[in-house]
Amino acid sequence: MRDVYVIGIGITSFSRLEYPLVEIAAYPAVMAMKDCGLSKVDHLFVANMGASRLNHQTGLASALVDHLSLTPVGAETIENGPASGASAIKAGWMAVASGLHDTVMVVGAERMREANNLETTDFVASLTHPLAEQIYGVTLPSLAGMFTRLYMEKYGVTSRHLAMVAIKNHNNAMLNKFAHLHEPITLEGILDSDDALTNNPMVADPLRFYDMCPVSDGGACVILACAEVAKKVKRPLIRLAGVGQATDTHCVHERKEPTDLLAVRGAAAQSFKMAGIKPSDVQVAELHDAFTILEIAESEEVGFFKKGQGHIALEEGYTSLTGKLPINPSGGLKAKGHPVGATGVGQAHEIVTQLRGEAGERQVKNARVGFTVNFGGFGNNVVALTFIKEK
Amino acid sequence: MERHILGYKCRGCGHVWYPNRAVCQDCRGTEFEPVPLPKTGKLLTFTVLHNLAVDFEVPSLTLGIVELSNGNRITGHLKIDQPKIGMKVTGKVEPVRQVGYHTSYGMVFYKG
Ligand SMILES: [Zn+2]
Repeated sequence: MRDVYVIGIGITSFSRLEYPLVEIAAYPAVMAMKDCGLSKVDHLFVANMGASRLNHQTGLASALVDHLSLTPVGAETIENGPASGASAIKAGWMAVASGLHDTVMVVGAERMREANNLETTDFVASLTHPLAEQIYGVTLPSLAGMFTRLYMEKYGVTSRHLAMVAIKNHNNAMLNKFAHLHEPITLEGILDSDDALTNNPMVADPLRFYDMCPVSDGGACVILACAEVAKKVKRPLIRLAGVGQATDTHCVHERKEPTDLLAVRGAAAQSFKMAGIKPSDVQVAELHDAFTILEIAESEEVGFFKKGQGHIALEEGYTSLTGKLPINPSGGLKAKGHPVGATGVGQAHEIVTQLRGEAGERQVKNARVGFTVNFGGFGNNVVALTFIKEK
Repeated sequence: MERHILGYKCRGCGHVWYPNRAVCQDCRGTEFEPVPLPKTGKLLTFTVLHNLAVDFEVPSLTLGIVELSNGNRITGHLKIDQPKIGMKVTGKVEPVRQVGYHTSYGMVFYKG
């Protein structure tokens, strides 16, 4: 297989965007072409989860390939729930690594705020098992709530640890102009004061409002290329060195150990193996913190910390922007935002920005190895990517 | 007539699956026989959900995962004031969701 490089990147703000979905997809695509100086690519993959339901649009890749005047090259839309973004990057990686194409554009785009909040919650809940979960009104926050309660019981994670994840990621997002939330929060405001329950109400006990990511619109793009093309482009050489993916039971109740996220563990192990590195080699990571507990649990499952030790590392500042292993320097899904189909591409955008040394005030010093976890469903389909900066 | 939630017993190895699957995870068998699941068990975890889909006309729902006496696990509603992890519960099959004219039946668990 051939080596695959990320040569161009682009992103929109993750927030409420009053543009048609195809424009939300096109903006980062044009930005990425300008970034690497290519005006054409051999293929287009588009990651999207909700267009047919939320925006009354199907065939998004066909619309975008024409809007970008890239016809007649091939184009596909890839839906893999909230892991659509990294799945589309994986498809792009396969196309370049196999030799089928030399350059592939991967765009993730989502427009969720066109629908009201209840419709959006119901749309995301359609990821759950129709007969054994959905009929009860199970939503992703409720699965996260049940997971959190067990995690607290078993490992001693407290509401204070969850709030620390939120505060860290909100602080990081303050340094990211593309982030959805530019809102500093404090332990006093969301946990300790008399107003805390009003500011930060229960949503899926023990998870509260500030434990959840916002509902965002947004788009992101990465352009992948083979070594020959990558070396002609005058940008830092960032290799997509590891691609891993694993799945788990559809129903959360079928998992033997309900506090395990085996798909995260499996995807990460494959990704590290392909890249030829260990978890301890990673210097910056974007983990899928749709709920604060997930940042802690994933940091353990991928092997950064032992099971049950993630909240201790967080408490000690190990994962903050100035710590030994900064997690979610972009603000994460928690504060950068979560436009579901675009999220995985957004994570890759952040890691490439960090490895290039272009992250400004939130730059992780001398980062050379970066890693992402994109988590679909409640952990039933996970894609993990490893990026390495070459000299 | 008493209603039941059905598990699916693999004709190859005897494992009972819930919900159903097309291929047995243990023996790769493809033939299953429906069997009623037991209704008593212990509560593994729960949440009180305050942000519900529009068709639920209640302010909140208590959802839980229960390990039944035969070892199968099931997600269901809890009608229990102060649930505790590990407590004994007993289920009844009752209407759990109404979308338009369609009523879904599911397991609702009570204390004891
Ligand atoms: Zn079997």
